[in-house]
Amino acid sequence: MSSADPGRGRLSAQQIARRLIKNRQPERKGSEGRARAAAATCDDLYRELSGWVGLDGCHALFTRALAEARTESAALDEIQLRPRAEPYIDGVAKSITSRGDAATADALEAMLVHLVELLGRLIGDDMATKLIDRSIAAPGRGDTTFDDRREEA
Amino acid sequence: MNRDERAVIRSLPSGVPGLDTVLGGGLPEYSFNLIAGGPGSGKTILAHQIMFANATADRPALYFTVLGEPTLKMLRYQRQFSFFDSNRVGSAIHFVNLSAEVMERNLEEVLQRIISETERVKPGIVIVDSFRTIRAQRGTAEPATFELDQFVQRLALSLTSWEVTSFLLGEYTEAEQRNPVFTVADGILWLSQATDRNSVVRKLQVVKTRGRAPMPGLHTFRITDNGLQIFPRIPEQTLTRRLQKRERLSTGVPGMDEMIGGGVIAGDAVMLTGPAGSGKSTVATQFMAAGLANGETGVIAVFEEYPEEYLARANARNSEVGKMLKAGALELIYLRPLDLSVDEALAAILEAVERLKAKRVVIDSLSGFEVALAPTFREDFRESLYRLVGTLTATGVTVFMTAEVSEAFSEARFTSENVSFITDEIMVQRYVEIKGELRRVMAVIKMRGSDHSHEFRSYEVTANGVVVGGPLTEYDGIITGVPTLHAKLVGAKRSR
Repeated sequence: MSSADPGRGRLSAQQIARRLIKNRQPERKGSEGRARAAAATCDDLYRELSGWVGLDGCHALFTRALAEARTESAALDEIQLRPRAEPYIDGVAKSITSRGDAATADALEAMLVHLVELLGRLIGDDMATKLIDRSIAAPGRGDTTFDDRREEA
Repeated sequence: MNRDERAVIRSLPSGVPGLDTVLGGGLPEYSFNLIAGGPGSGKTILAHQIMFANATADRPALYFTVLGEPTLKMLRYQRQFSFFDSNRVGSAIHFVNLSAEVMERNLEEVLQRIISETERVKPGIVIVDSFRTIRAQRGTAEPATFELDQFVQRLALSLTSWEVTSFLLGEYTEAEQRNPVFTVADGILWLSQATDRNSVVRKLQVVKTRGRAPMPGLHTFRITDNGLQIFPRIPEQTLTRRLQKRERLSTGVPGMDEMIGGGVIAGDAVMLTGPAGSGKSTVATQFMAAGLANGETGVIAVFEEYPEEYLARANARNSEVGKMLKAGALELIYLRPLDLSVDEALAAILEAVERLKAKRVVIDSLSGFEVALAPTFREDFRESLYRLVGTLTATGVTVFMTAEVSEAFSEARFTSENVSFITDEIMVQRYVEIKGELRRVMAVIKMRGSDHSHEFRSYEVTANGVVVGGPLTEYDGIITGVPTLHAKLVGAKRSR
């Protein structure tokens, strides 16, 4: 997935992550609110992937992806994962306040990229893409708007 | 309701080579099955093969994972098999993880989740892997055991009412067969693997199938990149030997046909025994080449040499062998895994015989075949060979086997392995010392239903193969290995 060639019809992990976030971002918001859209994307993915690989399995994937992304972006310092809770991604509001929307969004996108790549390495790019596509198409997705995300902090 | 109005139980293909035969035609549709066995016995692979063989977009499969092997790892490993089609995952095949329900909730919620997913997906196949972990969570106290009985009962009823063919996977020991799931299940497939010395033999047993007559006994299986392949246990002579005209087949060995009354009788099992280097493989190759030259097809099963070496040697003597191999009239089967079962060997040979419509089969050699078998099968070698030869000759092929006998120079052993009873024709080769030279001699010991030579004849192994010479009529005591001239001849020589 990391070395995917878009010319051959396969999206790179970054393209997939961006597409996921974009799909979650209401048009009326423009580029504003991208960090919350990225967080909502992660929530969706956690919920859907958990159905396949279990809550613990899914949390283990996100934990690894977060750890990898943290080495690249300080904006993830305030982001926490809350297994078995809604929303799954916590600390987004705090991060937006301290780092700004764009930096937080980029950091969450980087985490998503690591997640997609990790999944691809474990079960193959094709099946990873399938699982992720399912999360986009999931019937329960988007029932709550990203503005409604209630974080503990 | 008359007989014609009875509900028809359709059979689903298992997708596992050999398993449908063992099951008596396939998996009964809408049956509730248990796949049991120890860790690493192949339960998950078998379940995946069944799932991929049957799941469609209209009638998908639901694979519930519980505890035990994490789903990601399971997918990672299972997709290495050739049957795993990742394009169907998400459309025809759905994975659902039940670990949260099992760990944090109760059996009722596990059941409700399975039922709700079944209602949502409307699958044709449901698999719960591993069911044992559900039991382990709940089965520690009496009330939980009762709860588990109810759970199994309700699960079976629900899945059947949704017209689902279902499989529960679990690690069970034979002592646990009083578990309620064994009673409720319509079918039980038991997988096992036993270690004997350095070899591991995998076996499958159909313990139970309602409404079917499965093949009894333990059936060996192998796990390859293609998944499981079952080798149905060769039944004891279920086939009767095909009656043939008493056609004679040339051995291709100059002088030998004359010794056996005009050639090998078509459809017979022939054995050629002799010590190392006596030319048994050479004769076997000549026998095959004679058939190929006559437009017949054939199969050679090699157990001692690498096929390349065997072929090079055969080609050096008769280029027909290599040509026919290329033309597809001959197939060389190489079987030397050291954990072979007789049924696996037979399956490979039979498959080639049927595909090529072969008339001749060479097994070179029985001694190598015995060594290639897992130790547990060597104990039953005679019985196994009896079944193998019986099954092969029942198809109408002529089977030519070689066997090495280790003989002390002065001791004659005509046959090896105590397997002469399985053969119709036996020829022996041996070394003798004549005038200080090592010479080769050959004799016919047995020709069922036909006259044959009773002479010892000398023979040579030439660059073109074995050539049988004349009888050694002037010698006595050939059987001792150290023959002497007839007393009459000795006297004549002295008088000269």
